[in-house]
Amino acid sequence: MPDILAGLGLAPGIVHWMVLTAALFAVGLYGILTRRSAVGVLMAVELLLNSAALSFVVFNHFRMPALVDGQVMAVFVIAVAAAEVVVGMAVFVALYRVSHTVDLNRLDRLKNDEVKP
Amino acid sequence: MSEGAVETILFYAIAAMSLFFAIATVTARRLLRAAVALMFVLVLSAGFYVMLAAEFLAGVQVLVYVGGIVVVIVFVIMLTSSVDLLEERPPLLRKALGALAAIGFFGTTAAVYLTTDFGAAADAAPPAESARAIGAALLDYGPHGYVVPFEVISLLLLAALVGGIAVARRSPPPSQPLTSGGDLPGEVSFTPPKRQNDPEGGASHA
Repeated sequence: MPDILAGLGLAPGIVHWMVLTAALFAVGLYGILTRRSAVGVLMAVELLLNSAALSFVVFNHFRMPALVDGQVMAVFVIAVAAAEVVVGMAVFVALYRVSHTVDLNRLDRLKNDEVKP
Repeated sequence: MSEGAVETILFYAIAAMSLFFAIATVTARRLLRAAVALMFVLVLSAGFYVMLAAEFLAGVQVLVYVGGIVVVIVFVIMLTSSVDLLEERPPLLRKALGALAAIGFFGTTAAVYLTTDFGAAADAAPPAESARAIGAALLDYGPHGYVVPFEVISLLLLAALVGGIAVARRSPPPSQPLTSGGDLPGEVSFTPPKRQNDPEGGASHA
């Protein structure tokens, strides 16, 4: 069994892990571009940040396992994600109080004063 | 079955589940379901961290992401009353363009990864206690330390905390001092400045 899996090149190496993080990032990118709800877009951004942190840890594990620099960077990414979510969600709550919507197609108040029906 | 085979099967199983829930996060029409799918993605990422010998990070991931960020997202979904609403399906053109951008990104990046020679995996033993090593690196003020980014992050989190409260609370009327929280009875009936084409004068927003 191990010989078969390793012989097929299926044992997860750095390339497998990095392709996985790229796939997760691509899914998040699709979400950012297609979501209409601002909250949905922010969830897609969380996917992007998560995949970025994961790639830091992957490089840490495969390139310099004796050090923890990649893990430290992942901690920073997680902290920035937390700050970003707090501010973003506060903005959405304030926006909803004024506009009664978080639909990105209708939130163009910088262009004109009225919210589209 | 050897340990390597178990790890291989585990990797592909968690990766498949992770991608499935990630796609559910960006395509679910009910935002609350998308939030639950996002929670699963983040929990599975904690599993990835365990596989990569970053146990401390797995704990942080569960505490901060699942315990904090997903909860905030669920709160906001409910506060903006998006729970009952089905999000409209995006138009086909936007779906196609989004898929094109995502597939283009993935194809380019994967091609780069597959053609790059990363060299042989380094074979040093990981530190026995990753939490201790991370803590030492965060507070190390030597040339390879991270004490300055650590302090900057603490400032960022404080600013986000204060900014989040300042943005999301009710704005007090101009006559009220800024020290009140906007929750006094006199402030609830605050009417925003009259806008053009608004016959009610914005009173319905109070």
